[in-house]
Amino acid sequence: MPLLINRTVAEDNWLTVDKPTELPAGNILVPLEDYLEATEAFSAHSGKVAVEVTPDDDITPLLAEPNRFELIAIHFPDFSEGRGFSFARLLRRAGYTGQLRATGYVTRDRLGYMQRCGFNAFDIPDEHYQTDDVQAFDEITVHYQ
Amino acid sequence: MYQYTEKDQQLVNDRVEQYRDQTHRYLDKKIPEDDFRPLRLMNGLYIQRHAPMLRVAIPYGMLSSTQMRKLAHIARTYDKGYGHFTTRTNIQYNWPQLEDVPDILAELASVQMHAIQTSGNCIRNTTTDPLAGVTPDEIEDPRPWCEAIRQWSTLHPEFAYLPRKFKIAVTASPIDRAASQIHDIGVHLVKNSAGETGFEILVGGGLGRTPHLGQQIHPFLEKKHLLSYLEAILRVYNLLGRRDKKYMARIKILVNKIGIEAFKEKVEAEWQAIKNSDLELPNAEIERLQSHFQPHAYQARASEDLTLEAQLNTDPAFNTWYKKNTAEHKQPGYRVVYLSLKSFSRPAGDISDQQMEAIADLADQYSFGEIRATFNQNLVLADIEQKDLYALWKALVTLDLAKPNIGTLTDMIVCPGYDFCSLADASTLDIADQINARFDDLDYLYDLGDIHLNMSGCLNACGHHHTGHIGIMGVDNKGEFYYQIRLGGSASEEAKLGTALGRGYPADKIADILEAILNTYVENRLEGEPFIKTVDRIGIKPFKENANAITH
Repeated sequence: MPLLINRTVAEDNWLTVDKPTELPAGNILVPLEDYLEATEAFSAHSGKVAVEVTPDDDITPLLAEPNRFELIAIHFPDFSEGRGFSFARLLRRAGYTGQLRATGYVTRDRLGYMQRCGFNAFDIPDEHYQTDDVQAFDEITVHYQ
Repeated sequence: MYQYTEKDQQLVNDRVEQYRDQTHRYLDKKIPEDDFRPLRLMNGLYIQRHAPMLRVAIPYGMLSSTQMRKLAHIARTYDKGYGHFTTRTNIQYNWPQLEDVPDILAELASVQMHAIQTSGNCIRNTTTDPLAGVTPDEIEDPRPWCEAIRQWSTLHPEFAYLPRKFKIAVTASPIDRAASQIHDIGVHLVKNSAGETGFEILVGGGLGRTPHLGQQIHPFLEKKHLLSYLEAILRVYNLLGRRDKKYMARIKILVNKIGIEAFKEKVEAEWQAIKNSDLELPNAEIERLQSHFQPHAYQARASEDLTLEAQLNTDPAFNTWYKKNTAEHKQPGYRVVYLSLKSFSRPAGDISDQQMEAIADLADQYSFGEIRATFNQNLVLADIEQKDLYALWKALVTLDLAKPNIGTLTDMIVCPGYDFCSLADASTLDIADQINARFDDLDYLYDLGDIHLNMSGCLNACGHHHTGHIGIMGVDNKGEFYYQIRLGGSASEEAKLGTALGRGYPADKIADILEAILNTYVENRLEGEPFIKTVDRIGIKPFKENANAITH
């Protein structure tokens, strides 16, 4: 899973935890829904905790205080899903300054739009990754929005 | 008309190269079929029944003669020598090769055109009144606002993967010539009681399987807030619109499910957060856009010409054409001229490369080099001096573009139907031929007056059958084509949806059924009463009885 942060291939310092029953040590990325259900349990975790948003989530609780997270991930289950673009814009508008990471079905041809909505990290599946993907950010050099 | 800045040009040039690269990667099998699909659709490329189909954007219907010549060149070079004008005032090519599309887009970019967002689940081409800027009844020219919307919506990073397609129309006249009430958003320039100009905003209109008319979401929006308000609507829709079923995904479904008041509340809440952002249109930008749409250098003494009246008196064919195919212009001594693309010899909206070239020449000679497309699939030369009408008419007759049937029964909206479209259930072109063959007596058509006949080959309603005075929709019943008929629809300022006569009629009976419907009108109409008013007054029952008698 190549991870691009600010257009550079980077090491992933976060461990994604799908079923957060037993938490591993270190920094973890957990589903927002689970985090909201058991916020106190997660606050006892020794490492840092980040959340991953899925399209059906209500992100209102995140918007109140987004900077309590160093990383917020937004999951794209397929190529047609578009709610994550608005989530990203809303989080940045709410003042979020941390890493905003696109996860799931992240491919070259949406990187430019994702970046312009506020994403700065992209978790690209191996089977979609090409080393020249980074060029996609500059394919369109001018913008109206 | 609008001229690209360097930035506008750079954007379409970049987009051409981006799409060229996407096409190459697809052909190299580096992009899977399913992923390439939305990418090509966002550039107007469909895969149809026979071949790819490329839809080229004509922003708010405006074309220069240079652009029209380029469209002719593309038809000749990359297609079979013709194109098809659509109800979104775009043009479609039915036979391009997928590999050629990047080159076609480069040709388009060379004349300030593109195919961006002519399909896909994104904001489509904004449409407007084909008489914008020349009609005496408008409040102000709507086109600068269309251009503002075009720029805001073009490659908008947040709204490229909406639940479903999204269409916006802008009008500035009490007479609605842009079918604004059947758009996802209708923008109306209106005056308030203080005499100021602003926008009434409608939301949630649309046809398809579940037709709805738009509902008012804002009675009077200050002009500078247009884009922030549109953005607020789009953001609420992008977040809340259904994505699980294609047929439930348009904004009309969302608006009607939660109700216009609840929807408005959400939009207003979002709007408060962004109305004072950089989405606010500065006066300088509004003025810059308006400067592109200033009135032409009209001849002040054009109305002193005496030849027109003499020609009207001596040439009845010209007189008929003048009455049917021209309209009032705000400048004395000028007329608006409709070019009928419903000549009977070709499918509605189809045009050959030679016709395109000739129209470009006529536009240069007589109409300041500009051409407009209408949502009912005709073209307009908007600024014709009255002394030139006779010569123009003669030229149009030779080109088979002067059929004096604008607004009559045979000025039909017809989608391409089963012959081309892979979504269609039934053919439309043969039914249109059948209707044209039956109703070829112009005097009879004139006696019937204004009748809008709209036909679609399936329930997706690309041919606007819900809003035809007479609407025809093809259905496939176990491999046989049947046609449902609706009456009483309208896309005008008094828009409404037609009522179905109940069941489908066999393909070979459609002209007979129409004749029965028209006879019912003629028997029941009050003096001077148009078809649509008679349907309103007497209801569909008598029409239905007479129509059903044909097939029993």
